[in-house]
Amino acid sequence: MSEEVRVGVYICHCGTNIAGTVDVEEVTRYASTLPGVVIARSYIFMCSEPGQQLIKDDIVKYKLNRVVVAACSPALHELTFRRAVEEAGLNPYLFEMVNIREHNSWVHPDKVQATEKAKDLVRMAVAKAIELKPLEDIKVEVNKSALVVGGGIAGLAAALYLARMGFMVHLVERKPTLGGHTARIPFITYLGVRGDELVESYVKALMAMPNVKIYVNSDVVLLEGGAGAFKARIRMRPRYVSAKCNLCGECEKVCPVEVPNEYEYGLVRRKAIFLPFEKAYPLLYAIDMEACTRCGACVNVCPVEAIDLEETEKHEDVTVGVVILATGFDPYEPEREEFGYKLSDRVLTLFQIQRLLDERGPTKGEIVVNGKIPKTIVFIACVGSMGVGRKAGRYCSRMCCSTIMSCALKIRERIPDSTVFIIGRDIRTYGYEEDLYWKALEGDVRFVRYDEWPEVRVTTEGSIEVLVRDVTVGEYLLIPADLLVLGVGASPGKYLKEVLKVIRVGCGDEGFVREAHLKLRPVEAPTEGIYVAGAVTGPKSVVESITHGMAAASRASSILSKDYVSAEPMIAMVNEDLCSGCLVCIGMCPYNAITTKTLDGRRVARVNPIVCMGCGTCVAACPSGAMQQQGLEDRILLAQIRAFSR
Amino acid sequence: MSEGYEPKILMFACNWCSYAAADLAGTSRMKVPHNIRIVRVMCSGRVDPQLIIEAFTSGADGVLVTGCRIGDCHYIEGNYKTLRRIILLKKALEQLGIESERLRLEWIAASDAKRFVEIAVDTVERLRKLGPLKRHFDELSRVIEEVRGIE
Amino acid sequence: MSKVNVAFYWMASCGGCEEAQVDAITDDFSVLNVLNVVFWPVALDFKREDVERMPDKSIDIALINGGVRLSEHVEMAKLLRRKAKIVIAYGACSSWGGVPGLGNLYTREDIFSRVYSEVPTLKERGVRPQPKYVTEEGIELELPEVLPLLLPLNAIIEVDYYIPGCPPTPETTLNAIKALLEGKLPPKGSVLGASSRTLCEECPLNKTKPDKVLVVGYRRIYNTKVDSEKCLLVQGIPCLGPLTRGGCKALCPQAAAPCVGCYGPLETHVDYGMKALSYIASILDVRPDESEVKRVLDEGIPDPVGLIYKFTLPTSRLRMSFRKKA
Repeated sequence: MSEEVRVGVYICHCGTNIAGTVDVEEVTRYASTLPGVVIARSYIFMCSEPGQQLIKDDIVKYKLNRVVVAACSPALHELTFRRAVEEAGLNPYLFEMVNIREHNSWVHPDKVQATEKAKDLVRMAVAKAIELKPLEDIKVEVNKSALVVGGGIAGLAAALYLARMGFMVHLVERKPTLGGHTARIPFITYLGVRGDELVESYVKALMAMPNVKIYVNSDVVLLEGGAGAFKARIRMRPRYVSAKCNLCGECEKVCPVEVPNEYEYGLVRRKAIFLPFEKAYPLLYAIDMEACTRCGACVNVCPVEAIDLEETEKHEDVTVGVVILATGFDPYEPEREEFGYKLSDRVLTLFQIQRLLDERGPTKGEIVVNGKIPKTIVFIACVGSMGVGRKAGRYCSRMCCSTIMSCALKIRERIPDSTVFIIGRDIRTYGYEEDLYWKALEGDVRFVRYDEWPEVRVTTEGSIEVLVRDVTVGEYLLIPADLLVLGVGASPGKYLKEVLKVIRVGCGDEGFVREAHLKLRPVEAPTEGIYVAGAVTGPKSVVESITHGMAAASRASSILSKDYVSAEPMIAMVNEDLCSGCLVCIGMCPYNAITTKTLDGRRVARVNPIVCMGCGTCVAACPSGAMQQQGLEDRILLAQIRAFSR
Repeated sequence: MSEGYEPKILMFACNWCSYAAADLAGTSRMKVPHNIRIVRVMCSGRVDPQLIIEAFTSGADGVLVTGCRIGDCHYIEGNYKTLRRIILLKKALEQLGIESERLRLEWIAASDAKRFVEIAVDTVERLRKLGPLKRHFDELSRVIEEVRGIE
Repeated sequence: MSKVNVAFYWMASCGGCEEAQVDAITDDFSVLNVLNVVFWPVALDFKREDVERMPDKSIDIALINGGVRLSEHVEMAKLLRRKAKIVIAYGACSSWGGVPGLGNLYTREDIFSRVYSEVPTLKERGVRPQPKYVTEEGIELELPEVLPLLLPLNAIIEVDYYIPGCPPTPETTLNAIKALLEGKLPPKGSVLGASSRTLCEECPLNKTKPDKVLVVGYRRIYNTKVDSEKCLLVQGIPCLGPLTRGGCKALCPQAAAPCVGCYGPLETHVDYGMKALSYIASILDVRPDESEVKRVLDEGIPDPVGLIYKFTLPTSRLRMSFRKKA
């Protein structure tokens, strides 16, 4: 080091939080004896205005070129002090903060031990600070566009609000139509609208905006880069039916293949060439190539030659500033025989019964099972949630109680002489939905509270009995059911794992995507620039998903509204003189931030400073020591470690 | 073991998980043994075995390498590499006559202050039984000085 | 050019460096002709007393190879340091301990016990080297004492430069000697005659590597088929080329043998073996399950220390095994 290192050390009392246990004066005295230290002080609250001013004044007065603050956790005030130091004209990365509160005074009652430890920690911090070098934040120019992955209600809300703010939006949806599960809900409680009409209003608004590009039948296969500048590759899978399609439906008539219709939750079947539903967007037929046998019958009958079985997939690369993940959920799918599932036509899921009740659904709203109108209808709530079910999550799925209540009321309305039982662990019609519960009580719906899982008995003729122990009464009830509805909740989307391989965010224990912090950073993924919205983060009602989507759009705009974002410079850097091109680093990076380049005829590693997230894994692995982490170079950590003992 | 021997432990903690867990132990005013000095890194994947061996030669009786739980790494897979390195390093330490229990790898979630404390207490106990490592290095220094003294 | 006084000395050495030195200097007579050899126990009849009689600093260059394992080595190293202007650690053993350094995994008594008591072919068991012995005729004989561990040269005296290799190739040796003769020298303590980067740069197999260097397990060349046209590391053969100093032109990998690290560390290495361990473990792409990783490593790398510290144990941070004495 050609310049002389001059370190200032500041020990915070933090009121009595530190000073009550640690002898701060002794630590300050000790600090002043350390090599390189020109001034050591203690102060009651270093983070306060006067505390910060003390540092700034000293930097000028004593010509300090390194500053160490021993106080609370850097998680709280590292940024505060970096700014203070910068304001005094010193590079903010010539600053080190050491934790003598959370890690010391708050957890060690013995004052002598706590003081000794504080001295050790200060000594290590000073040794580290001496090795620090000035660093510059990395500036990334922000691309003012967004990628919204998932065309369900949360994605639609996010896309619309971002578009309205003036940003370019790329909306990518896996299925051949937008709308997700919301589009298949006949009546959305509390909002009092049809799901498909709600979706339609969003889609119409989006289509009216010139700065929105919608990709259906598509998914994202590659995502690189960081906040402000992500590069995404969108794979557009072939629909096999072009915009020429006039919806005549002749193709459907001749198609020989039938498969369960996922838009009706398997209640009825559809052909391999199909129209998702009346209000699908885009309103075109599509071919499910996994079911299709390529017999060509549809091609022959199409009057407008809209079908091309040879259509290939296309790719499009886009650059965006932010990514919003809103890929939703899928209903819990009970296993065969679980609560009688698939053992009888009379056992339906909550999603299926909603299709049955839809006046625009496959039965036009007629509730008929095996040719008969059911008289006793039993709902078992919490299937797949609350630990009820073989693969159930332990969480509550939030929306099923309200949905069950709505369905029960509709059934009571349409089949006046019906008897409806709702067997539940709990009734969670929260907020304004409580109203539904009272209506149900008044409408003569019977409620049974269970703890042990109800047992469903299905006879060979297909008739059903439900045996349940009513917790309130303490007796077993045997209820014969003409129709049994399993009140299934939400599970993580069945394609979620695949999506997360590309858009790298973490999941919680239950398999839903985890927000960075429920209170401090909701709708954000830990990775900067990536946001998460809707049921992908956990069960949500339609209203909650919309709010979430808007919140994500709002948070995302905090990046998009800037011209530049700054990234912390603690990234990996290659010493090109030393690098021998062994390529070990490349395989270490989960972000693919490292590539190679040719230098004087040699191949050397090259780190993309925007993509590198600064984990340091490649640095530890680099066999030659050519790869180092700015701000956490080997020599810095070694200095800190070597100061471990006096 | 000598009375009053307090093992000295150097702990590598990752910014997102284990460091935060230690912070939470503080915020919750849990009682933690005083033997640990933390070196903060962004990810446990930064922990190079060279740094661990330097900790041992710098007076640490034990080294605790901590990070996020597998599958939860803030940088996705950094801790996978840490796991592989520590396992191989433990094998090498045994060959080098250093008890491999002196090196401990633990995954601690940011919310798991309780586990941090349990691990701290347990590590101190185990290291007390193993005794100070210093005596090996003292012996080594003595031998080398003796050799150097030959004329 | 006037003649240059040169001394060669061998300590705990296999003799390979001696052959390498002869190889090198007879390759280039312009170098040979300039050398005035004043001490060379393996080849010439100069004695220790001859060296003791030389004025201090009268030897221009002293090249010392072999590790420090006997008390005599310490004495001679110190003597040559006094008598020479420049002292060179020649070869892996004097530079970092070399292969005999692996003896530091055992105590001196372990070694004696094995050599003098346990080896099946012994005629007489239980004998031990005696530092002093008086014959029947009353003649005092001395044997140097075997030291408790093997040390590199720089643990005993200040070393000016290092010539790496086991042995250093003729090219490396001549590059170094020419640099010395011409006075074109890097800062004291540097390595001479070799590359400033690691072996992968020189290895023709480097360009066959795929984008990511990852393996699913390790194996040894003696029990599996090796593709000699592809990078050995990528095939799961632990090759230390990525971290070993280059300069040998990758002779071993070109013969389908993995680099074992005889050209030693770069200046950036704090502990060569630990750095080797780091990347060898890092590139193992198995699922992050402790027992699975352990199983794969136990199978593929049964002797980690032998792999990572083959030449550098005495110069590592620990220098030796800390096993309790037997």
